[in-house]
Amino acid sequence: MAVFLAQIVNGISLGSVYVLLVTGFNLLLLVAMIIHYSFPIVVVFSMYISWIVLGLTGGNMFLGLSAGIVSAVLINILTAPMFQHIMKKRGDVDINSTMVLSMGIGMIITDFLSHSVNSGFPIAFPDSLTGRGEPAFIRLGVISMSRGDMLSLTLGIIFVLGLFWILYKTRAGRAFRAIAEDPNGAKLVGIPILKTGLQSYALTGLLGGVSAVAMSILLGSASPGLGDQLGRKVLAVSIIAGLGNLKGGLIVGISLGILEALVQGYWSGTWSNSIAFVVMLIAILVKPKGIFGMKL
Amino acid sequence: MSLPLYYYLAITAVYILMTWALYLPYRVAHLHFMVVANMAISGYFGGYAAINWHWSFLAVFAAGFLIGAVVSFVVSIAIGDAPTFAVVIVGFTFIYITKTVIENWPAMGSTMGMFGIPLVNHILLYAYLFVLVTGFFIYRFDHSRLGRAASAIFIHRELATSFGVNTKYLGMFLQTWAGAIGGATGVLYGFIMNSLFPNFFTFPIIGATMTMLFLGGYTTMWGPLLAAPVLWGAPLLLPTAVASWRQIIYGVLLIVILLLRPEGAITRPFIVKVQTTIFQWMRIKKV
Repeated sequence: MAVFLAQIVNGISLGSVYVLLVTGFNLLLLVAMIIHYSFPIVVVFSMYISWIVLGLTGGNMFLGLSAGIVSAVLINILTAPMFQHIMKKRGDVDINSTMVLSMGIGMIITDFLSHSVNSGFPIAFPDSLTGRGEPAFIRLGVISMSRGDMLSLTLGIIFVLGLFWILYKTRAGRAFRAIAEDPNGAKLVGIPILKTGLQSYALTGLLGGVSAVAMSILLGSASPGLGDQLGRKVLAVSIIAGLGNLKGGLIVGISLGILEALVQGYWSGTWSNSIAFVVMLIAILVKPKGIFGMKL
Repeated sequence: MSLPLYYYLAITAVYILMTWALYLPYRVAHLHFMVVANMAISGYFGGYAAINWHWSFLAVFAAGFLIGAVVSFVVSIAIGDAPTFAVVIVGFTFIYITKTVIENWPAMGSTMGMFGIPLVNHILLYAYLFVLVTGFFIYRFDHSRLGRAASAIFIHRELATSFGVNTKYLGMFLQTWAGAIGGATGVLYGFIMNSLFPNFFTFPIIGATMTMLFLGGYTTMWGPLLAAPVLWGAPLLLPTAVASWRQIIYGVLLIVILLLRPEGAITRPFIVKVQTTIFQWMRIKKV
């Protein structure tokens, strides 16, 4: 029982990071109407940028983490014209081509990281960031949380709540939701589609940057293949929840985190990830259009 | 024949077949990466059967074709008419699970790979014979009522359904056929290389075949046929330092073609234009 409870807590920390990633992915899908499969790969790239700047500045946390966040926002904004060009050229919404374009971006980033950074070997973040080796930050009986777990969970909660606040309580959020509901109707009432689309790229870039920070703290390491693995998980979570369903993504993201943590608690080795994938595969095969319904 | 030329031709055949396997389900807008998992499953089965049970190449080849078809058919029951993104993630997930199983199964050579798959005489001939047969059937399909139905689904799924096209059955048929090609190609690949490594059946082959399909053109079968030898061969001609960036080259090409010529290099109007030019030229010659 003790292991079970401890793993549930770990799973919530991990799940909060998945929720950040899935929410960013869904926001791009709803407002910009693209399937940015490589969004998690951009996040991993930002982790690498943080690691490089941390190394160059002698471990300056502020500069390192800020560089990661800025790089995610920049990549998202710089790639936006390519996606918009495809959407414009195709006339109608062609989500498949945007996914293939995103995969192309992912191929470039992943291969660049495999060749050029740390000779392709995984990178490790300093203990001062992750809190490794420190005594537990919170201890409740058998359940203990490290400073890293606590920080990433807090970041996840703050930013997910912040995003939902933007979406449901602000003017910009109403514009996002209007485009998601009916792009033509939104255009008719004077919502600037292009500008709002660009804002969604910037906002998801920010979410990606924060996810990179949370993952650097939580995982303490990264490898070139991590982005691809996360890409599969994020797309799977999004499909299981129902593509574009923000609330569904929240529930399924947390559930996946808990499932993975539980599997890791009771199983060892490379099988643990596969079990999570088998569960996701069964869910997709049974309900390919999602549990909570698509919002497209 | 020199060894480099032999490997170039053999691997080109493998890429043509794998790109066609990706092309077929994409006729109904399904990016069916599961063919890579089919390739791995049948390839490893074939290698194991040849080494341990001493099956002949043709028996293994037939079994690989059948296994690929059966596995794909079973999965297609669930995703025969699923949205593209669901088909993509099912493919990726299958690839990951297959790779994990192979890496943790000592009989399959685990992470070290499977060695000692026997040499087969005339394997190149068999490979291109299979390319010819597959190409013939794809050509026949493309010019049949089913091919036109697939095109209709690609352009407007709902409209195709209202005209009486059974999108699920056609999706299932194409996924099963693609799985069979993937399976047989896996066996061919194993016998060409005489060894198999789990890492091959992931990122490298997905990136390469996807680029070949989109760069060559996904609206006709001729696109992959042209793109595979060029894209596989071009990096071989480059200096080693540049060639090792193959995936980045593919990624850049993929993005450029999507931005400039979304349907790829060889489109249907292009084929018609070529045919017209040839006929005109032949008529002039006759006169």
